[in-house]
Amino acid sequence: MLCRLFVSALAGALMIPVAAVRAQDVPTGGGRGGGTPEQRAANTRAFLGLGPAPDKAAATRGAPGYQKACAFCHGPQGRGAEGPNLIVSDVVLGDDHGEHLTPFLKVGRPEKGMPAFKNLGDDELKDISEFLHEQVEEVANRGTYQLQNIIVGDAEKGKAYVAANCTSCHKEGSFEHIAGRFRSADQLQRGWVWPNRPADNSLAITGTVKANDGTTIKGRITQISDFRVTLVDSDGKSHVVSRGAGVDVQITDPLAPHQAMIKTLKNFDMHNVTAYLESLK
Amino acid sequence: MKFGVLLCASLAFLSAASAQVQVSLDPKAIGKTPIDSWTTFNGDYTGQRYSTLNEITPANVSQLATGWTFKIDSVGAQRGASEPIIKCTPLLVNGVLYITIPDHVWALDATTGKEIWHYDWVDHGGHLVGQRGVGMYKSTVYFLTPDNWLVALNASTGKELWKKNFADARKQYFSTSAPVVIKNHVIVGVGGDAMDMPGFLDSFDPETGELQWTWWSTPRAGDPALKTWPNAASSEHGGGMTWMPGTYDADLNLLYWPTGNTNPVFAGQGRPGANLWTESIVALDLETGKLKWYFQVSPHDTHDWDNTTAPILIDKMVDGKPRKLLAQAARNGFFVTLDRTNGKYLVVKPYVPLDYYSGLSPKGEPIPIADKDPSVGGSLNITNATNWEAPAYNQKTGLMYVNAVEGKSIHYLLDTSEHPSGYGGTGAGVGLSTRFLKAIDPLTGNSAWAHEYPNMNNAPGTVGASILTTASNLVLTGDDQKNLIAYSADKGKILWHQELAANESGGIVTYMLGGRQWIVAGAGDTLYGFVLPTR
Repeated sequence: MLCRLFVSALAGALMIPVAAVRAQDVPTGGGRGGGTPEQRAANTRAFLGLGPAPDKAAATRGAPGYQKACAFCHGPQGRGAEGPNLIVSDVVLGDDHGEHLTPFLKVGRPEKGMPAFKNLGDDELKDISEFLHEQVEEVANRGTYQLQNIIVGDAEKGKAYVAANCTSCHKEGSFEHIAGRFRSADQLQRGWVWPNRPADNSLAITGTVKANDGTTIKGRITQISDFRVTLVDSDGKSHVVSRGAGVDVQITDPLAPHQAMIKTLKNFDMHNVTAYLESLK
Repeated sequence: MKFGVLLCASLAFLSAASAQVQVSLDPKAIGKTPIDSWTTFNGDYTGQRYSTLNEITPANVSQLATGWTFKIDSVGAQRGASEPIIKCTPLLVNGVLYITIPDHVWALDATTGKEIWHYDWVDHGGHLVGQRGVGMYKSTVYFLTPDNWLVALNASTGKELWKKNFADARKQYFSTSAPVVIKNHVIVGVGGDAMDMPGFLDSFDPETGELQWTWWSTPRAGDPALKTWPNAASSEHGGGMTWMPGTYDADLNLLYWPTGNTNPVFAGQGRPGANLWTESIVALDLETGKLKWYFQVSPHDTHDWDNTTAPILIDKMVDGKPRKLLAQAARNGFFVTLDRTNGKYLVVKPYVPLDYYSGLSPKGEPIPIADKDPSVGGSLNITNATNWEAPAYNQKTGLMYVNAVEGKSIHYLLDTSEHPSGYGGTGAGVGLSTRFLKAIDPLTGNSAWAHEYPNMNNAPGTVGASILTTASNLVLTGDDQKNLIAYSADKGKILWHQELAANESGGIVTYMLGGRQWIVAGAGDTLYGFVLPTR
């Protein structure tokens, strides 16, 4: 009983730490990645703390109405023309789903030459509002971004670059196989410039570690810091060696020629080789 | 009944702890060389993160041991962040440490690492990417929320005193910075580049929260700097966020603030020109916020090279004359040393390999090569050469210490329209990127020494270790593999390391408390207090 009194007496004077575990819409892993474009957009939306997602179906319905009634002054994407840019407009950004924009559009801004859209119905105005929110979404939510067609190079020049620079390591005729491994042109470009290391460890970084007791370990290096090196030998056994005086580590990276190439690669050579490899698909 | 007893006991403990704490910081002590306190983001106003303390030395640093840890275990996943990461620099006043993550502030007993109070803000929007820490004045702690509220808290109890909204989260402004308190000004910067909004810096009254002045980081109608933009509308939506705390020279009464990237971010075709004062170091009058001079480190930026690393104040003899200098290792890969009275340059020199510029303008600004801009087919350029993590300057060695990254990225232009908006492009690393700790002479831009951090994996993105340096010839920072490391400041020799629960992720501070020198560092969700064993 004493205890209860003590609590109530203190409750007003104390700041009681709040149990701060809060249910929030966290994307799995916290990243912006995700399988489908929709997941990627949703993850990025959460990551950036953007407002509620626009209603895409309504935005699609609202597009013709927007182009007819608004685009002449505000541009086809709402980015401004004769009239102001709407996607950075306070009125648009202050609205979620037409609750402010619909009544606003009915009145307009006659003093600034913007007419009142009294003849349009609530549903149509709400759809136009969603169209504007979709335009904002396509700018603010980087998870919705799409690459253009990145094939801009000259395939013939790319073929010549490959013949001059790549065939000391890669057999002729192997380039079709390389090109065929990639679904998209940007994956192809990234992948030939800097190949992924495959799961079969064929491009793994290897090394030789001489310990200070004279023993030598060879294998695939999985991590190294100033203080220790971890490697897996040919029997699959993992070794962790502390790096101290007398411990020597030699490392071989089969991708070293690619790393050297990246340091001086010109944009036009990169584009040309990508165009050549794409032509082999 | 059992529950009741337990609750009673824990409250009693809290009340005892609260009763002991009476925190008060003399405004005259703010920004002074940190000895038994750490009163601003950078410890003082110079940005040097240099400590005159010399109890911990190269000879005994190997004995450094964990005195306490504080783990954030009451928050869990936040929106867009799977786990809490301490990216703040702690403040220390009257034996109380103040640390933050987005939406949260803690006051800790600096002797034990135990929680004194915890403030929990419920945000309504904003990006929870990081939080750099609090500012302090008398008995008030100032905290910026993701949705752009300046919140004043009672430093002793954590009770909210007042709050003021200074930017609209619906325009994708969000706040991560630490307020900087100078005299009767609370200087507040802002972030957010998703929506082509203009950056600004605000000054508030520390007692009332009244707005004193605003400096916009892009020019308005009538300003001659407007000629660096195609029109007023592009300038008014040109970015230049004030993400990170600046520095201050009391003699000149000038603030030095670094400004962020230009908007639209990667698509520069709609904004031909240098795009002042984005990507710059600006000198502002403390009392009025008026621009005194600027130096633009990345004219017409198209690579998101936020110029937000600390502009460090350095006083040095040059050709026999004492000079007031300012040095910055910029994210665009240039090391810049300026005369901080007028912004004239002494050194502008790459500190990582660069091939994107054709030379320097007469003012010393790098001239970018257009072919290196993001393009539809992809364009190779450097990965950010550093980021928000704090560098340091040692008055004894005369060297600046920077965690740098050498690597390449491919940047794509995605929005090819005449009037692009938002990011308009993207970039991602390609090939191996390697982190280095570089010790750079600010009078030449040359490295006295550089230490490569060995790593099979690429250098991590934006979670980098900050740096602290001491008069006893130490540099403290972290690698990419959870090690906190002490180097000799003059030679870069490794003297000590300790593996932590995560990579060092916040500002490293040091102070005397109870007659002992402490070093405090954050790594992931855990704050560590290190100290030498008692003799």
